[in-house]
Amino acid sequence: MLTINLFNGLVYGSLLIIMSSGLALIYGLRRVVNFAHGALYMLGAYIGFTVAMQSNFWVALVVAPTAMAIFGALLDRYGFRLLQDREPLSVMLVTFGLLLILQDLVVFIWGKANHSLFTPELLNFTVDLMGNQVPAYRIGVIVVGLTVALGLTLWLRFSRIGLFVRAASTDPVTTSMQGVNTDAISAGVVGLGSALAGLAGVVAGPFLSLTPHMSSDVLIDSFVVVVIGGLGSLAGAFIAALLLGMMQAIGAVYMPQVSVLLPFIFMIAILIWKPSGLAGSRT
Amino acid sequence: MRFSRILMLALLALVAGVAIAFLTPSSSLLGLFAQAVIYAIFALGVGVLLRQNGLTSFGHALFFGAAGYAMGVILTLDWFSAEIAIFVVLLGIGVLAFLIGLVIVRVPGIAFGMLTLAIGQMAYLLATRSRGLTGGADGMSIPWPSTLFGVKQSVLLKPDVLFLIVWTVLIVVTLAVVWLLRTRFGSITEAVRDNEERARFIGITTTVPRALVYAMSAVVTGVAGVMSSLNTGFISPESLHWSVSGIALVMVVVGGFKSVIGPILGAIVYFLFKELLGDFATYWMAIFGAALIAVIVFSPDGIAGALERLMKPRHTRANATSKSGH
Repeated sequence: MLTINLFNGLVYGSLLIIMSSGLALIYGLRRVVNFAHGALYMLGAYIGFTVAMQSNFWVALVVAPTAMAIFGALLDRYGFRLLQDREPLSVMLVTFGLLLILQDLVVFIWGKANHSLFTPELLNFTVDLMGNQVPAYRIGVIVVGLTVALGLTLWLRFSRIGLFVRAASTDPVTTSMQGVNTDAISAGVVGLGSALAGLAGVVAGPFLSLTPHMSSDVLIDSFVVVVIGGLGSLAGAFIAALLLGMMQAIGAVYMPQVSVLLPFIFMIAILIWKPSGLAGSRT
Repeated sequence: MRFSRILMLALLALVAGVAIAFLTPSSSLLGLFAQAVIYAIFALGVGVLLRQNGLTSFGHALFFGAAGYAMGVILTLDWFSAEIAIFVVLLGIGVLAFLIGLVIVRVPGIAFGMLTLAIGQMAYLLATRSRGLTGGADGMSIPWPSTLFGVKQSVLLKPDVLFLIVWTVLIVVTLAVVWLLRTRFGSITEAVRDNEERARFIGITTTVPRALVYAMSAVVTGVAGVMSSLNTGFISPESLHWSVSGIALVMVVVGGFKSVIGPILGAIVYFLFKELLGDFATYWMAIFGAALIAVIVFSPDGIAGALERLMKPRHTRANATSKSGH
């Protein structure tokens, strides 16, 4: 019982890693708390659903994040860049407005009924994990989550563009004075973050059902992760995402009544102890 | 503006309310107005926090819903008479919010918003999962007594009477807020908002005033919750959901949070638009989202700001904006 719960906790934690690393990247560079991230996750899942219906899951896994990447780059160019001198609250509410629009758009196109993505044939078997049968697909989700975490870390740490991103996150003005095209960097990073939201949507498709309200829970959990980890910190977000997944899993075994409250209690405790989060120095 | 002039305006608003109550032909329209006014009180509470503390709450639905639940529980268990219960509930919300505020107002910026979101969502989840008295996800009905303050319930719930009641409450609450913000308390909280460090240097303790503003905004929102529970006689976890807090915050920003009156305008415009759009109501949230983006992009200080710019001559504008809302 505990093993399977811990396993599922790891699966959900991996999904949160994909979601919250996108949020953290966008916050790090644009200082925007992006409510639309939840909508992009949902849009990714629904586009993935339609594409998977026409062809197969693996095509969906490429098409949906690509579509979201383009959307994200446009959002940065015609949204965040034009609003960069506004108060953070205004920009945050613009993304909230966008969330409302995209949510209705999904209802308009796909209707209110629940949909579900089929598990791809290739991963449609179970694996024995210490006496428990677990779906191979879920192991795949963990692999994707850890790959995203590792890939982003290596990219930011060792590539030239990664260096620019880190520089622009610390001080955009000085970075652009050194000759870095920070506008292009921003568009790229917001595009990447949005692609990650789309990826999370497709990946979640086969084990969480698709509803017009699917964004809300994951979005709030991702906010909790990003705030606990320290706004804009990727490493903090990775740790917080896994902690949160685990905590819900263990809570479901020992404290079923309050397990849904645990993330919030944890977040409140962390913020009161350290207002800038686990790894954060920014507020 | 002198306070006597504000009182005159309040009196005028009261007369206008009576006129609206008598001249509005359909009772369903009056019901809509009543709902708009209730949300105006709600938004007023959220707006005071933003204006006076510079803090954005994503969790004020907590106080809106908690007021309804508290009324429901107290009246079901028959602890107090309904009249006393209203004051007990509002006092309770004030004390609770003050205590929460003492802890959370220290957390700066966006993290504060996320904290309030977390606390609010906790209450929502608790309410959906609780069994028994509060009815879990189905909600509970609130057994108002047959007479309240000596008025029969059947009279009280007539659309025109109910509209006049909430309208009067809105005016009284607004007056109370305006008066409080003109006292020394208002100046202290403004000083703390603008520069906490300097405020500390001149010998002001900064946490208590901020927590007091938080409590005050919670009580105002609680008043809206009590009014809503009177209006509908029903409370469900939906009232506690974070999207309710989000909508209230949007009303505040669309209306313009820099003036006290802005959030009220925002709430009323929200409901009037919703009614006008009637046929498109299925996609109401999308239209609302688009309107929200348009207002933020083209008039950062909201409807109130836009009105002010229209009414004030050009050369006094700089002077006028610094005095807005006083």
